[in-house]
Amino acid sequence: MSRFEAKKPSLCKTEPLTSERVRSTLSVLKGILASCYGPSGRLKQLHNGLGGSVCTTSQSSALLRNLSVTHPVLKVLTASVQNHVSCFSDCGLFTAILCCNLIENTQRIGLTPMKVMKLNKDLLSFCTSYLKSEACSCRIPVDFSSTHILLGLVRSILTSKPACMLTRKETDHISALILKSFLLTIPESAEDRIVLGKSIIVSLKGQRVTDSTILPGLLIEMSEIQLRRLLPTRKSSALKVALFCVSLSGDFSNAGEGTVVVPYQVSLENAVLEQLLNLGRQLVSDHVDLVLCQKVMHPSLKQFFIEHHVIAIDRAGVTLMEPLSKMTGATPIGSLDTIASTAYGSVKDLHSARFGSKHFFHLIPHEATVCSLLLCSRNDTAWEELKLACQTALHVLQLTIKEPWVLLGGGCTETHLAAHIRHKVHNKADDIVKEDGYSQAELLIAAEAFCSALESVAGSLEHDGGEILIDMKYGHFWSGQAASASVVSWPDMLSRCGCGLYNSQEGLSWSFLRSTYHPFAPQACLSQAAVDSASNLIVDCFTAKLSGLQVAVETANLILDLSYVIEDKN
Amino acid sequence: MVTLRTLEQPSHGLPASEPLEGRGGVKPEVLRGARRRGRGWCSPRGVLAGSPGTEGNSILTLTCLWRHQCRAPQDDSRVVVVQCREQLPEIITRGDGLQHHKQKKALKATKFITDAECHESVLINSTVRLLEGLDLTCAVGQLLNEAVQAQNGAYRIGTSTLLFLVGAWSRAVEECLHLGVPTTVIVSVMSEGLNSCIEAVVSLQVPICNVFDHMDNSSIVYKLETVDVNLRPSGPGLLQEKRDFKDATSQLLSSYSLSGRHAASLKFFKTQAKVETEENIPQTLRNSLHADSFCRKSALTHSRHFNRADNSHGISRPDGFLEQCGSTPKASRCNDLVELAVGLSHGDHSSMALAEAAVRLQWQSVYLQQDNCKAPFMFDASRLLTCCLPGLPETFSCVCLGYVTVVPMSSLTLIKELQDQPFRVILIEGDLTESYRHLGFNKSVNIKTKLDSGKLPEDSAEELWAKSVLQVLTQFNVSLVLVQGNVSEHLTEKCLHSKRLVIGSVNGSVLQAFAEATRATPVAYVTQVNEDCVGSEVSVTSWTSPHDVNRSNRMAILLKTERINLITAVLTSPVSAQMEAKEDRFWSCVYRLSHALKEEKVFLGGGAVEFLCLSHLQILAEQPLNKENNACSGWLPDSSSWMASSLSVYRPTVLKCMASGWHEYLSAVMCNTATRPSAVEASTCIQHHVQKATNSGSPSSYILSKYSKLSSELFHSGISDNLELVPRVYDTVTPKTEAWHRALNLVLLVLQTDNKKTETRGI
Repeated sequence: MSRFEAKKPSLCKTEPLTSERVRSTLSVLKGILASCYGPSGRLKQLHNGLGGSVCTTSQSSALLRNLSVTHPVLKVLTASVQNHVSCFSDCGLFTAILCCNLIENTQRIGLTPMKVMKLNKDLLSFCTSYLKSEACSCRIPVDFSSTHILLGLVRSILTSKPACMLTRKETDHISALILKSFLLTIPESAEDRIVLGKSIIVSLKGQRVTDSTILPGLLIEMSEIQLRRLLPTRKSSALKVALFCVSLSGDFSNAGEGTVVVPYQVSLENAVLEQLLNLGRQLVSDHVDLVLCQKVMHPSLKQFFIEHHVIAIDRAGVTLMEPLSKMTGATPIGSLDTIASTAYGSVKDLHSARFGSKHFFHLIPHEATVCSLLLCSRNDTAWEELKLACQTALHVLQLTIKEPWVLLGGGCTETHLAAHIRHKVHNKADDIVKEDGYSQAELLIAAEAFCSALESVAGSLEHDGGEILIDMKYGHFWSGQAASASVVSWPDMLSRCGCGLYNSQEGLSWSFLRSTYHPFAPQACLSQAAVDSASNLIVDCFTAKLSGLQVAVETANLILDLSYVIEDKN
Repeated sequence: MVTLRTLEQPSHGLPASEPLEGRGGVKPEVLRGARRRGRGWCSPRGVLAGSPGTEGNSILTLTCLWRHQCRAPQDDSRVVVVQCREQLPEIITRGDGLQHHKQKKALKATKFITDAECHESVLINSTVRLLEGLDLTCAVGQLLNEAVQAQNGAYRIGTSTLLFLVGAWSRAVEECLHLGVPTTVIVSVMSEGLNSCIEAVVSLQVPICNVFDHMDNSSIVYKLETVDVNLRPSGPGLLQEKRDFKDATSQLLSSYSLSGRHAASLKFFKTQAKVETEENIPQTLRNSLHADSFCRKSALTHSRHFNRADNSHGISRPDGFLEQCGSTPKASRCNDLVELAVGLSHGDHSSMALAEAAVRLQWQSVYLQQDNCKAPFMFDASRLLTCCLPGLPETFSCVCLGYVTVVPMSSLTLIKELQDQPFRVILIEGDLTESYRHLGFNKSVNIKTKLDSGKLPEDSAEELWAKSVLQVLTQFNVSLVLVQGNVSEHLTEKCLHSKRLVIGSVNGSVLQAFAEATRATPVAYVTQVNEDCVGSEVSVTSWTSPHDVNRSNRMAILLKTERINLITAVLTSPVSAQMEAKEDRFWSCVYRLSHALKEEKVFLGGGAVEFLCLSHLQILAEQPLNKENNACSGWLPDSSSWMASSLSVYRPTVLKCMASGWHEYLSAVMCNTATRPSAVEASTCIQHHVQKATNSGSPSSYILSKYSKLSSELFHSGISDNLELVPRVYDTVTPKTEAWHRALNLVLLVLQTDNKKTETRGI
């Protein structure tokens, strides 16, 4: 009957950003995201209220996945942040908070959207060109011959996720494991094109975090009984492998549409089983030592294999198929017909392994670019968070190969960048304005909005009412106690800057971040000696942060540009 | 709306708990304590000093902090849930696992969970069962449940400690928040505090060494008193020492009855007491000996020669090995299984006696299998199972080598026939039904069978299948089928007619044990059976004599075979409602013993560990924070934050709050063990000893030297005049420390959570 109903007219709203409701929901969203930011960020519990598992998290990917936003403006924002996270894993919260700040700040200054967009674009290009330039002093080149920076990068990612519930010792342990597993995925012989391997995270919940470990090759979980039955048939040389992605369970679920009519006393099941056993006979005559199946294998077929000293493992699962194929060189077989001899692969050796209460079948490849990271955590919710953090760290390390730099973390990049832009706009306003269609005053206003948006991202790192300062030499981020605002001696109150590069005893002067300071040129060159001497550097992924910056500014521009929201009410 | 899931009634059917608790009524009053004794029963508000009156209706104070997450009571179901919560801390304070044998009866009070709608009630006395029975829907409740389940899954013990500490530390956290300590500081100082405590309590670890080395000697005496030969039958292949002491024709069973076991324990206590009174070493020397033994513990305990020499020395004495304790400090090691078991029994003698007997039995059966025993013996709890027989007197409880299970009385004649000679067995992994297909087999819906001649076949598919199964059984001369899943009733009957026994719902580890012992291979379908799959030489005996089981129309049988590594603990109880609780208690004893043996170390128990943690934190709180080494700020996630520099201001406060959690734990234990009637008195007593311990400079040596005095003052008020009678109490190491970790993790996780989630809805 719906066809006969008159169509409702579409609802059209103008200037969505001027609506008070949109503004308030935007600020609620910003509040949620900002409260999660950084190592002392607050956690969020995601729970459906009807029981079931609770997700405790402070990561943007988990958070945004579970947030149901309804307004189109917010949908644009969350979609672009999620897109950024799916490409770069890291800096999701940074992107989202910066975007919200930019929207809030630029709305306040009252310039026309066109001008604001143009100005934001120019300011963004100042930032990116500075970050990419040699003169940039918040960027550190990564030395792959030492673990110093790489470990710092991984550790920074782990410590910024408090829901992982890691102690310092555990953080060190996991960071080392992540770095090790990343190094294991790099092939030893590099041709013109490097294809990175894969590290698979295997869950081992309920154990101590320090029990986590890494093994080259793949682990397939199975029961102890199964394992005991399989292992006597073991040989020392390399094993020939057949890999099936088709079910060998002996059912005929893919019979297609329609009904199959079978005469009485003809057993389809037996026919299929006979076909399976034929397949088994071929595998045995081809001297296959190990049969791996993604799905289920018929018990009779398994029995047949055991009798012929072939190791049969079923239920490997879809996630293991790609690494299995990569590791063994076997082509996944998708039919029960005869098998081409090229489809077989091989593994070097296999073992049984026991971790905690779980038993595993451990396949060891000839050349290890596939490894298994056994990740332990005491409780489920911390494990999920830790797994996400490890995946992020592994991805970030891969990104760092492509662009071998890291940015200073702990808020220092943001404050430094803001100081740099302020200085540039104040001193070279004439050059900038000469080419473009806006006035010098407009540039100054927009730059102020842009810079304070950046700084307030850094300010979101503080959750306990502390005071944030910026030093007048490097433009770095410093955190101090709120009550001590009137204190005379800042050097004694402060210890180190946010990224850990400089300490407070260097004869610096400070200004509160929330008050306006006189523009200054932050020191341009980063001394390598300072980098080497700093023990616990906090650094961020260069690629992810740069992309986050761009995504944030472009998304903010897009949202500022929205003049109509048209909703189809049908 | 039923908010309380009723737990399953004990499966072996006597009528449930009617005489014990009246029907629940329609009132939403759900969880009631069985007030057995006025003394041991504290009201939640009395014990929980943290929240008097104001927020009685919250799960621990955990939800006090985040009370906005739990909606106000609106409907009946809410009321029910809230009332459950009100009772929760009560249980938490009670189930603490630190009890002693002497006060056995004043211990863990049992609770009822009653379902307001179904009028069914269930008797519980463990944390896991409690949380199973409650319906905790809010996120924090769910996290709590997860933590308890995780602890239970990994160790099977320590859940009550976990639950209690969650409550105590969340009150500590709340206190810190009131005092204005930043969240991040609380998190880092508390994790530091716990780690420091765990490092400190290492000094209270007692190594266990070679408990099995002198077992064949010491157990002879023991066995002479305890082997019970009257009712229980047994197969061949018994221990050599036993053969000579009863007539060989009566079928012996390697089982230990409870009555005899008690005698052995008593004897043990007497000898120990004697040794201790003979100990006339001056106090100072004793202290130095303690310190000495702990410094060089590792060197001594891992020296096999040292221990061997020791043991042979001990055994040569007529009174057994205990004499050697006079020369070495008594806390230094534990090398006797009886002593260990008594120490770990935590007041539950009968269950621990069974658990200990199970360990001995497994050791003996493994020892006999290995001709030249090389590999060190490792107790494997997966080869132990329980068989509950409600309705029989407690004294019937025992452990047997082999598989004890319950079969219907209709098999009685078959069992009698099979009793005479060994027979063959097959093991089926799946169900034994016509329609069963292995997991992952998808049945097609669009297949139809066409009849060629138009007349129906004579037999149904089920009948045809049953015939084919019987044919296989006949072909391979199989008299016993052990099936992991369900069994078709039709087939069971058919088999009974042809003198074959089919047993369903058999545990996987039983199949595995039979597979190993008889060289049978488990299969999924009967059609897979070939000669290699069939096991042989299995024998059966009826476990209970027929005249005392006819009430339940079921009988227990014992299946065994040569060299089987499988032990069944038969648990009996005249009150069927207690069966589940009894089983739980037995398992916790088994796992306590199993973890202790696996780790080869135990803690000095009876509150000593918690007392050391308490004193240690007090000392730590008073130490000024050293700015140079700055070890503490390392616990902060961000060492450049202002909180790192202001840590020294807050640290003592947080550590003291945390210590109050231990204090609360100890005083609750004292109240529960009825040594101190009031919380105030308990608190004063603890305070007094903590003061002494901290003044002494080294709390751990204070505890070691004053252990018996301490434990008697803290936990044995009645017998303080006779110190030497206080037996040593032990605790497991890793399960305990892991429970602490989990409890703190949970509290800190919730602490760091703010409440934005509810606002996010509908953006």
